[in-house]
Amino acid sequence: MNKTLLAGLLITLVIVAASLFGRYFAPHDLSEHVEIEYVVDENGKGTLLVPPVPPGAEHPFGTDKAGYDMMAKMLAGSHYTIFLSLAVAFCRVAVGGMLGLLLGTFAKERKTRTNRASVGNLLNGIPMFILVWMILVGISINPSASNLEMALLLAAVLTIVGIPPLVFTMREKTMVEMDKPFVLSAIALGADRWRVIRTHLVPHMKESFAIAFVQEIVLVAGLFGSLAIFDIFVGGTTMNRDPVEYISRTNEWGGLIAQARDHLYARQWLLLIPLAAYVLYILGMHLISVGLEKSYKERFRKVSHV
Amino acid sequence: MAQIYRIALITVGVVAFVLVLAMLPAVIQTAPHQGGLLLNWKGGFSSIRDYFEGLRSGEAFRYLSGRTELSFWEQICPSFKITLFYMGIGALTAMTLGILLGIYVAVSRKEWLKRVLEFTGILPDFLIILVLQFAVVFIYLHTKVLIFEVASTSSDDPAVALPLISAVIIPANYMIRNVALHMSHALADDYINFAKARGMGKRTIVFFHALPNVLPYVKADMHKFMGILFGNLFIVEYLYNLDGVAMLVFSNAYGFEGYQYSLAANGILTLLVLYAIGYAILKLFLYGWEKVLLR
Repeated sequence: MNKTLLAGLLITLVIVAASLFGRYFAPHDLSEHVEIEYVVDENGKGTLLVPPVPPGAEHPFGTDKAGYDMMAKMLAGSHYTIFLSLAVAFCRVAVGGMLGLLLGTFAKERKTRTNRASVGNLLNGIPMFILVWMILVGISINPSASNLEMALLLAAVLTIVGIPPLVFTMREKTMVEMDKPFVLSAIALGADRWRVIRTHLVPHMKESFAIAFVQEIVLVAGLFGSLAIFDIFVGGTTMNRDPVEYISRTNEWGGLIAQARDHLYARQWLLLIPLAAYVLYILGMHLISVGLEKSYKERFRKVSHV
Repeated sequence: MAQIYRIALITVGVVAFVLVLAMLPAVIQTAPHQGGLLLNWKGGFSSIRDYFEGLRSGEAFRYLSGRTELSFWEQICPSFKITLFYMGIGALTAMTLGILLGIYVAVSRKEWLKRVLEFTGILPDFLIILVLQFAVVFIYLHTKVLIFEVASTSSDDPAVALPLISAVIIPANYMIRNVALHMSHALADDYINFAKARGMGKRTIVFFHALPNVLPYVKADMHKFMGILFGNLFIVEYLYNLDGVAMLVFSNAYGFEGYQYSLAANGILTLLVLYAIGYAILKLFLYGWEKVLLR
């Protein structure tokens, strides 16, 4: 039994379930918020209640400085973090992986491989979030479009910029498979390329696709956060001028972390709780990817001599 | 000759790419009234034309920081030095650590070490930096011992140690995993078994038989490595408040009068120069490994 894979699936399942059904059990939602209040207890002693309220019985994850419940915010944001990263990763792998598979199968000249790879390599040198930042910075601040529209736009941009690297890697992987004896003998026996794809490559590479999918999820979630550090949030940024502050409209987790990045000394829960949730999500996906790789390697491994 | 031609072609292509990339914020805008997207190609190309005219008049090298007009050349020098410092040390240290620890990881049988490396390797860089900053603050709050400065409060009193550590560990982690992977493949090959049968020591086999066959993979992956290093460097500058080139571009791209094309283009071109320097340093470094150390 593959324990790593099981642990990853379990963590992911819990997070997805919490995101889908959490709002039915959460104590507060985004419509209510804590006002500044002067509370007098029965001994006549008064305390001033000012948000942000630290985590406690009333607010398990505390509240932000405007008085909104952190758990409600995170539940609302989780839809974007989780389902949008899943969707982007799926589209990337579906389009990029298929293109790579086809290019690898039908590639005629093998000699230009080094030449093309060097251009592909150069593409790797461009940090992805710079590209996306340049595309989105003009439209992301105080947009008139709705949250969902902005989120979908970002997802489309992330999908498009993510496809070329995947095409390159999948093409390389396919070309390696194409040189293997079982594929060569199938071709020698007269199988056409489509049959090779259907009966040899796809069954043999399905784990590669699954692993690429899970790894892309992690990459996309990472990009959400990196963009948020530079004030581009999933679903648009609200910018206030006095004082200058950037607020995520959707409460996507990367955005929550980036907004709270200054809370290192005081009110640390504002940073720590979204950070922990985000790491847990990535951990779950990572364990799935490692588990898949493990089961894949066990079938095809070579043994070290040293 | 063909080599020079190719390099010239790539350089022209890359510069053209930068000019177009810097144009994007001027092109992609929201339509003022009805919402929706607006592609302002005319505005984009006119900013490129203005830029070329500004190159002659010197106007392309002035920009607004808030409402203050500044000279690009005066501001870029200190920023360039800061970014060069973190990039140079980051690249060399990360590469050295990457190769040495990569070998160690490939040879050792400590499974937990590999797992920890793998997991920290997929965490995004901003997350690792935030965790590092938080760890320092946590230790300070509980023991009153301040190990490092967490961020620069002013340019006279910059934080150095923690940014440097952050600039090293993320690319180093990538290199360690990369080297370890190819090393473990190399160690499974037949010539290693042959060398072992001839009675050679483990150290000789690892360094003089396997490593020369791993370094080509390292060289092939250099652009990816530099990409990770640079992407990480931007976030390091941003989160530690360092006045580097990326910080100059990102925080001033939008001046008082809106998007400043010339600053963005100049800034990214400066980053490209830094990229080329870093790439050359690493190439030289690996050449040294191959031709001097492993001979």
